[in-house]
Amino acid sequence: MSNIDRRTLVKSSLAAMMAGAAFSRTAFAQSSEPILLGVSGPLTGPNAQYGTQWKQGFDLALDEIQAAGGINGRKLAYSFEDSQSDPRQSVAIAQKFVSDPRIVMELGDFSSPASMAASPIYQRGGLVQFGFTNSHPDFTKGGDFMWSTSVSQADEQPLLAAYAVKRLGLKKLAVLHLNTDWGRTSRDYFVKAAKENGAEIAVTEGYIAEERDFRSTLVRVRDANPDGLILISYYSDGALIARQARQVGLKQVICAASSVYSPKFLELGGEAVEDVHVGTRYFPEDPRPEVKKFIAGFKKKYNGQEPDAFNAYSYDAMNMAAAVIRIGGTDRRAIRDAFAKVKDVSSVIFGQATFDVESRRVKGAMNAELVVRKGQFALWDGKPT
Amino acid sequence: MSSWLDYTINGLIVGNVYALVAVGLALIFGVSRLINFAQGSIYLVGAYIGWVAVVQLHTPLPLTIIVVAVAAALVGLVIERFGLRPLQNSVRIAPLLATIGISFVLDQLVMLTFSPNPRALPSQLPDVRFQVGGGTIGPLDLLIAGVGITSALLLFVFLRYSKLGWAVRATAQDRDAAMQMGVDVNRVNQAVFGIAAALGGVSGLLVGMYYNQIDTAMSLQATLKGVVAEVVGGAGNVPGAVIGSLLLGLVESYGVAVFGTSYRNLFAFLLLVVVLVLRPNGLFASARQAPPEPLTGTFIAPSRPVRIPRWALLVAAAAFAILPLFPVSFYVLQTLINAWLLGMLALSLTLVAGTIGQVSLGHAALLAIGAYTSALLSLNFSVPVGLAIIGGGLMSAALGTALISPSFRLRGHYVSIATLAIGEIVSLVILNWESVTRGPIGISGIPPLALFGYDLISATSIYWFSFIVMVVLALLQGRLLGSHLGRSFRAIRDDDIAARAYGLSLNRYKSLAFIFGGFAAGVSGGIAAHLYSYINHETFNTQQSILALTVVILGGLGNVVGAIVGSVALVGLPEVFRIAAEYRILIYGIVLLLLVRFRPQGLLGTM
Repeated sequence: MSNIDRRTLVKSSLAAMMAGAAFSRTAFAQSSEPILLGVSGPLTGPNAQYGTQWKQGFDLALDEIQAAGGINGRKLAYSFEDSQSDPRQSVAIAQKFVSDPRIVMELGDFSSPASMAASPIYQRGGLVQFGFTNSHPDFTKGGDFMWSTSVSQADEQPLLAAYAVKRLGLKKLAVLHLNTDWGRTSRDYFVKAAKENGAEIAVTEGYIAEERDFRSTLVRVRDANPDGLILISYYSDGALIARQARQVGLKQVICAASSVYSPKFLELGGEAVEDVHVGTRYFPEDPRPEVKKFIAGFKKKYNGQEPDAFNAYSYDAMNMAAAVIRIGGTDRRAIRDAFAKVKDVSSVIFGQATFDVESRRVKGAMNAELVVRKGQFALWDGKPT
Repeated sequence: MSSWLDYTINGLIVGNVYALVAVGLALIFGVSRLINFAQGSIYLVGAYIGWVAVVQLHTPLPLTIIVVAVAAALVGLVIERFGLRPLQNSVRIAPLLATIGISFVLDQLVMLTFSPNPRALPSQLPDVRFQVGGGTIGPLDLLIAGVGITSALLLFVFLRYSKLGWAVRATAQDRDAAMQMGVDVNRVNQAVFGIAAALGGVSGLLVGMYYNQIDTAMSLQATLKGVVAEVVGGAGNVPGAVIGSLLLGLVESYGVAVFGTSYRNLFAFLLLVVVLVLRPNGLFASARQAPPEPLTGTFIAPSRPVRIPRWALLVAAAAFAILPLFPVSFYVLQTLINAWLLGMLALSLTLVAGTIGQVSLGHAALLAIGAYTSALLSLNFSVPVGLAIIGGGLMSAALGTALISPSFRLRGHYVSIATLAIGEIVSLVILNWESVTRGPIGISGIPPLALFGYDLISATSIYWFSFIVMVVLALLQGRLLGSHLGRSFRAIRDDDIAARAYGLSLNRYKSLAFIFGGFAAGVSGGIAAHLYSYINHETFNTQQSILALTVVILGGLGNVVGAIVGSVALVGLPEVFRIAAEYRILIYGIVLLLLVRFRPQGLLGTM
């Protein structure tokens, strides 16, 4: 082994990268090419499941957009780069997208560390970073190229608090939350809103994402003697908590944030999630036409599978991207400006979505109060559980 | 007070779950002195085979257990035969790295076959609950306890009273002597891997049923907790592993009881560090027992490093220095920036792990300390960014050395485990010390890199900045290694008793190595913080520590140029494989395995 090997190794990896860059330049010349969006998200690593769900929502929306004639006759497509939700990789992807002239806009990333580490590169490179699951309050503060349709927790949590306190009549709450930037922000907004509605917060417990055993946490909850449990969780951990709560004999009402809204929650939770209340943005029998179309289309495309919250976010995001490009064309700056111009884009989460130019977010998420009955999500009928 | 009974019961229940993995790990360690990082992956494979059996084939529980045990044992045999046996005459670190590579490959294969979505794995036992204290336990709890304790007992009896068991223990004590006495060492290894894998597979199945949930992320957590439990009980001690697991479960449960849920893992890892420092052979080792690690030399084998002529290095450095003047895309520059940042971390680790022989698995903690220090200095105290980064380096050097110093008396694998724990502890302290670190919300709006009042925001200027910093650190380290200090470091690595006999103070030299290494890693973390503008407790995670170790071993332990070459390769390869989308980590794992197989001393050799 000599230094030749070292140099050939370096050279070959560099050559491959440059070949990629050169390829992208030649491809740009043809205008019959599809309009390309860059997606930075996890396809492998611990968050891989969410990347897979994004793809389902994107593909469904693209089918509909293509069927409706694309964007001014051109197809819309995306290039999904796997970041593993790792900031080191998301910054490299950001440079890749920024320097690839075919990419007109970027979507993602999933986690805050990965997304916000890439923000300065998108901002300086003048490429819109459209973070549709980025609820971190500082995400859109990264610059005027950062836009988000993620439901602001300042919007969502008061709705959940109203459901739990006013409608279900819970007065003393235990809050269990994922100890991430999302869970923590949500908890703070929830606690504030619940107190304003007159409830008392008996205990709050933050747990890390990899946690699977909640028995001891639930003993703490039991000792605080609440009359309701609030879960600020994703579906997998939410199902685990509900199961273990019932196993250790807690019989209190459980009320969960919209992020547990997934058929997987029912599958993983089994009987334990019966009668769990969920505040969501849409529901299966929702009469709104955009929701009917989304659910019917999704079931048709994916063999009868029910869509979940992350599918809906990505479906909405792709539709929003199409609406923005219809106005802004393929110029990156014009696309940024078009975000301020789009009005009332049909959306599963918001009904009609219009950006607030000041915060670069969308306000006024829809609200549906669901409960699990006979293993299905159903609109809550007002009857106590 | 009845709550304490509940906490105790809950601790025992979850300890039960850890025991299943820990017993398998202990068995393998007992024989081959290897911490099998692939054990969690076998556990994952077992869970998914169980899912196929239960949900698709509708097998009854006894049959499911047999199917899973047999299938997992086969996986274990394949790993032993093709992954580890070819490495038995190479350096001791090679099989460790191979198990990491194998776990990448297995996890990815499961993910590609079954999709990363979690699945429900329904329990096949009747749903009756028995009231115990304030909570209930079910039949699955009893089954898990039964499997854990029975297997530990059976193994104990097997090792003590059967002929193959004697062979296993003889091999564990002295491989060469066992071979001379006619023990077929390969058969022993096979038997051990088969049994451990069967246990791992069954534990994945039972734990999956217990939570009614299996997903591809469960493997790393299982390995981590299993390793902690095993080491607490005394590495290689099978009944000790069970007791260590129960103790771990109890400590976690009481930790939650007293301080709250978010402190849970903190106590698990603190327990580990305390046990390691006070009783390095585990709680149940007799004081006179010989330490299970080889005393000297064999953990990192010497090899002849590849000599690179000085002019070639100069040419390479010049080529990389003028690279931005050519029309290369920013993507290439950014990728190389990542490589230079990883290179600084690798320089630090190659000094600590390679030159002085303290293989650290928690090096990302030094990045985190440097990053947080630099970010907070520049945000809260308006320190200029350039100074803040140096501050980050100094803090990392000081705090890192202070944290690791209690573990200076440890050797070999135990250093790795202790540093792994310290890495986790740092991350959990960052998560929980909200008044300073802002907890899970993280620190946003960190100012961009700047030097003497000029912002460095273009990819080109960041490239040059990080390249120059790395080269300076590399030159300093090269100078250090050439001095008497470097010789003392290597003497300690190769034979610490001889080194002490010559009057070298081990602790002082180890501290010096960690101070220098901590500085380089802290600077890397500081630059990263200003580059990303946002960091939180997840930015610098265990995967980064493992990546850094991979780089160092790939480049050749202790080899300064090797560390940089390794960084470029391991940052570059996954980027080159981007075209393979979901398959790229699988390919990466296979490449890693091949490298370990054919060049275990690293590309450029151990220095």
